[in-house]
Amino acid sequence: MNQKIVNAIALGIFALVIALCPLCPARAQESGPAYERMVPIDQYLMADRNAEIALARNAAPESISRDAEVLLLGRHGYETAVKGKNGFVCVVERSWMAPFDDPEFLNPDQRLPLCLNPPAARTHLPLTFKMTDLALAGLSKTQMFNGIKAAFDKKELPVPEPGSMCYMMSKQQYFGRKYGNADPHLMFWFPKTDDMLWGAGLPGSPVYVHQYSPEPITEFIISVSKWSDGTPAPAD
Amino acid sequence: MIRKKVPMVVRSIVVLMGVFGWLSQMQVLGNSKDNKTPYPSMAALERYLMPRDAEIALARSAAPAAISRDATVLVLGRKGYEMAVKGKNDFVCVVERSWESDFDSPEFWNPKIRGAVCYNPPAARSVFPARAKRQEMILAGLSKTQVFDGIKAAFDRKELPTPEPGSMCYMMSKEAYLTDRGSHDLAHLMFEVPRIDDAAWGANLPNSPVMGGAQAPEPFSEFIVPVGKWSDGTAVPTN
Repeated sequence: MNQKIVNAIALGIFALVIALCPLCPARAQESGPAYERMVPIDQYLMADRNAEIALARNAAPESISRDAEVLLLGRHGYETAVKGKNGFVCVVERSWMAPFDDPEFLNPDQRLPLCLNPPAARTHLPLTFKMTDLALAGLSKTQMFNGIKAAFDKKELPVPEPGSMCYMMSKQQYFGRKYGNADPHLMFWFPKTDDMLWGAGLPGSPVYVHQYSPEPITEFIISVSKWSDGTPAPAD
Repeated sequence: MIRKKVPMVVRSIVVLMGVFGWLSQMQVLGNSKDNKTPYPSMAALERYLMPRDAEIALARSAAPAAISRDATVLVLGRKGYEMAVKGKNDFVCVVERSWESDFDSPEFWNPKIRGAVCYNPPAARSVFPARAKRQEMILAGLSKTQVFDGIKAAFDRKELPTPEPGSMCYMMSKEAYLTDRGSHDLAHLMFEVPRIDDAAWGANLPNSPVMGGAQAPEPFSEFIVPVGKWSDGTAVPTN
């Protein structure tokens, strides 16, 4: 496992980028200036609809994602591209799903494919949709933060159902300039809880944690040894 | 085929840990050799016991020291678990024996089995009681059928809890012995939830890192995710 990368994820870079950045491998170990505002929407979109479907599905092994619903990002939010039949939903999230204090927040290159299991599809996707709406409306980072906080305070957004988890095993995921395509992992969501619930973040523990803010959500992350296509991920 | 993609030891361990759905899958795939158990009945109790200090160390080795050094440790006595070390982080570490495996497992009475495990606080409260109950009934001399029925009845009467949200445990000991097969061991985490369809976690599908599923008679599902290092930080050999 690439512990450095996973530790980085634990520190807050939890989403995903695609190595659609073949032109910038030299940037992979550097972080750059933060993105204060959205850049033009076209930079977040993928021109090739089929490529986005393939990328979304690539988050999980084909045995799971082939029967999953697939969502695509359009100019006005996510749209259903493929109806599923196993309750999983695969989607390529964008950088507004990164932590607010992450320098990659609003990075237009970031591509975060994930396949959510049925409980997560019910309780995590509403957050994805809300964040996307706020981002596409052109709100500032502060306005987005306040909007999400208010939505949870008013219980307009749900907390994770028990058993909520997702696959992030795409070899093409791209987290941004510093973490590149990171490593394959599973994520598990809970209503905000202590890191120690799973012994996360302790020396030798394979469990990493990301405490969302302002969302009352805790995310535990576990690296796995293979990408979704079955090929081995780089070891330490 | 799934069978080709999952190492033999992994499948054995999943069966050992009592995942009926996976066992069924194995039976469908067929493995007549497994049906001839070399352990037809319980061996002398002494063969399941171990020196107290060694058992404490083995139990703790299930999780990284940062977790297990502050955990409660229980050891197996002649009538059930006994408190060996009182912890302070609400994790509970024990060495489980073969009777915590699936009731159909050919290794149900294998006296060599040493399943070192550290339960997190929700699992210690809501998963471990069923394990302890099973052990208590075995040590009381009940038959396998009586134990199965007794556990089922206890759940039916709600005398035993179902897994709380967030229940999980560590099984990362390099010294554990989980099966006669293969390398005998596997570094992994386990996640327990009230019984759900295996597909809800994408378990047991080709290339999925998640294995396991429904247990019986406990109304649980238990999912397993292998990890790349033992509790001491050394890398698990690949394949």
